[in-house]
Amino acid sequence: MSRFRGQFEAILASLSFGTAPIFAKKGLLSGLHPLSGMAIAILTGLLVNIIFVFFAGEWKKLLLSKRQGFLFSLIAGGCNTVAVVTYFWAMAIGKVALVVPITCIYPLFTVVAVLAFLRKSETLDTWTVIGTILIIVGIILTV
Amino acid sequence: MDLSIPLSILCAMAWGIQAVFLKIAMRDITLYGAILITLMINWLIVIVLIALASEKGFSEFHHLPGSTYLFFMMAGVLNYFLGRRFYYSSFRFIGVAQATAISATYPILSVGFAILCLTEKLALRQYFGVVLTLAGVYLLILKGKK
Repeated sequence: MSRFRGQFEAILASLSFGTAPIFAKKGLLSGLHPLSGMAIAILTGLLVNIIFVFFAGEWKKLLLSKRQGFLFSLIAGGCNTVAVVTYFWAMAIGKVALVVPITCIYPLFTVVAVLAFLRKSETLDTWTVIGTILIIVGIILTV
Repeated sequence: MDLSIPLSILCAMAWGIQAVFLKIAMRDITLYGAILITLMINWLIVIVLIALASEKGFSEFHHLPGSTYLFFMMAGVLNYFLGRRFYYSSFRFIGVAQATAISATYPILSVGFAILCLTEKLALRQYFGVVLTLAGVYLLILKGKK
């Protein structure tokens, strides 16, 4: 059941990530700089999350979190920002037909990072590796 | 060499690796705590970049129509709240490699949307890509282990 929930949530994440650019694209038609649009979008997500954390009483759990949790969240946030900034930079100076397929290979780096950092807690089976490669090739052919 | 190529590779590396750091972080921090911190970092750096790199700077925000704000707010809720909430949460139940690969299929949704709503036509290569992606998702969901 929990495995099904994880897969279902990953599909819902895909749905959310897939529909967000439709609105962003409509917003960009006004001529707004993409960074400014991103700032509005991130601030909205941040505020909604703060409201949720406050009203759901999650802030109490947050205060009890260990320092290591904060540290790795900061590192993840840093990586995330590097990804967003380099994506926009690459799009600004390069060809979309080149940039988009290259950036689509990121699940491969996750597989490598899992092997490097999470080998003890996560097992990577052959089907997961083959499935990941099929998805990457499929997306590169589609975009 | 075209600078956009190493930048694109760096983007893929950073995006791919962040999932693993998040998984490690979520052993010691709540789901919403992790979302909160990553979004705060994102926002602070984007604000600094606007101040440094954007020609119009923050003056751009003063004359925007309400509809533009609304579109970006919708994108923000979908991507930065719901998307991240489901993506990060899925790490608690399945492997991070599997969760990342499944959630990476979102371009296929855009293609589906374009076919259904905009009646766009696909090239044979794109149909082949959709089939491969769906086959990959099938393998991850039905065959892949946790």
